[in-house]
Amino acid sequence: MHKHDLDLIAAFAEGSLDDETEARALLESCEECQAEYRSQLEILTILSSAPPAEMTELEKAALHRDLWTELRNPSTNAPTGPAWYRWSYVAAGLFVIVGLVGVLSGQLGLGSGDSAESGEITETTSDLATFSADEGSEAPLLDAAPAADGADAESAPTTTMAAEEAGPLPYAEFAEQARIARESSQRSAPTLSSKEDIDHCLEEAGLTDMKVVEELVLDQRYLLVMPLDETSERTVTFIAMETCEIVYVDE
Amino acid sequence: MISPGNEAALIARVVSGDRGAFDTVMSAHQDRVFSVCLRILGDRERALDATQDTFLTVFRKAGQFEGRSAVGTWIYRIAVNVCYDQIRRAKRRPSVPIPDHVDPSDPAAEAAIESAALRPEIELALSALPADFRNAVVLSDLEGLSLPQVAEVLEIPIGTVKSRVFRGRRLLALQLGNQNTS
Repeated sequence: MHKHDLDLIAAFAEGSLDDETEARALLESCEECQAEYRSQLEILTILSSAPPAEMTELEKAALHRDLWTELRNPSTNAPTGPAWYRWSYVAAGLFVIVGLVGVLSGQLGLGSGDSAESGEITETTSDLATFSADEGSEAPLLDAAPAADGADAESAPTTTMAAEEAGPLPYAEFAEQARIARESSQRSAPTLSSKEDIDHCLEEAGLTDMKVVEELVLDQRYLLVMPLDETSERTVTFIAMETCEIVYVDE
Repeated sequence: MISPGNEAALIARVVSGDRGAFDTVMSAHQDRVFSVCLRILGDRERALDATQDTFLTVFRKAGQFEGRSAVGTWIYRIAVNVCYDQIRRAKRRPSVPIPDHVDPSDPAAEAAIESAALRPEIELALSALPADFRNAVVLSDLEGLSLPQVAEVLEIPIGTVKSRVFRGRRLLALQLGNQNTS
């Protein structure tokens, strides 16, 4: 079959032709073309009826956790602050991850039937532990801004991650405007909790000396918090927003 | 659903270091990125790795996004390139044969089949297509991107996209025909 004919029939089958006269005439005069048309229609029906593949909730949580860890990797992000301080975050993060995974596994109702996926998390965490042991002196970093300073009552905490040093940014000016707009209360973050709720939870949990780095929405909402004082020996902690209870803390 | 204007503003906030904005971008696109990666790579674990690598790149390269295309298109282009890299790396390693059956007692395999939601014979036929054709068919027919979007993601002319999609479908039909007769 000529290339032009195939393109014409395929386009006719998917309904993308403005003028179908030539395609219809071709189909009437060519048996091979009719077979091709039926074949294209059949494949289109099969493909268009398939829903997109999706990650499980556990896979999404693992993806988020691994990204959070990786984005503090010193080999890909500019380090800031004293090395020992950064290392303490890694160690704390690992403890928290192990604790959170344990808690979530229970809360998400993962029984023995999910052992394969649970095993995957454990294995990944174990990889991270190996990483921190090997590269502890240049551990992942976190450059967190004070939470929600100057923001209005409805604004979620402002958090900052260390960005890669990559020279002038085409979007830098736009980014600055967005930052100003956010500080002017034009930002909307409907999925995040209010500052009052967050402050209330920090107070309830006895963590008023901590700042919020991130809010995670998993089976429920969690706050990831760390000390305001960078010299503090307290470490990264998760708080469950529903109960304002510390999910796991390493003292 | 995030509007295009808001998406561009979100990327700007990611550049300014706003972690919440990055989470929002990720939440909006993670399922589709995973879906694209799964269909291109044909393996759930590798697709999860590729999804993670994609969003790492999105975060690190956010400052280079110029707003000339939709954020989603830009992210899918990154995802496809990440998948290409994975395929290149895999070619240098011993290959893993595609299983011809699924153990029903294996929850991971069961979950993978359920999530992929493609009949096994379609998955197999898709994996047998040349990469260029498969990627065009995956983006166009399975992920529902328009031809101009596919052209942007794959960085090829629209005419080439059409050609690859049409021929990809044809090869897919032939593959399925061969499976039925064998």
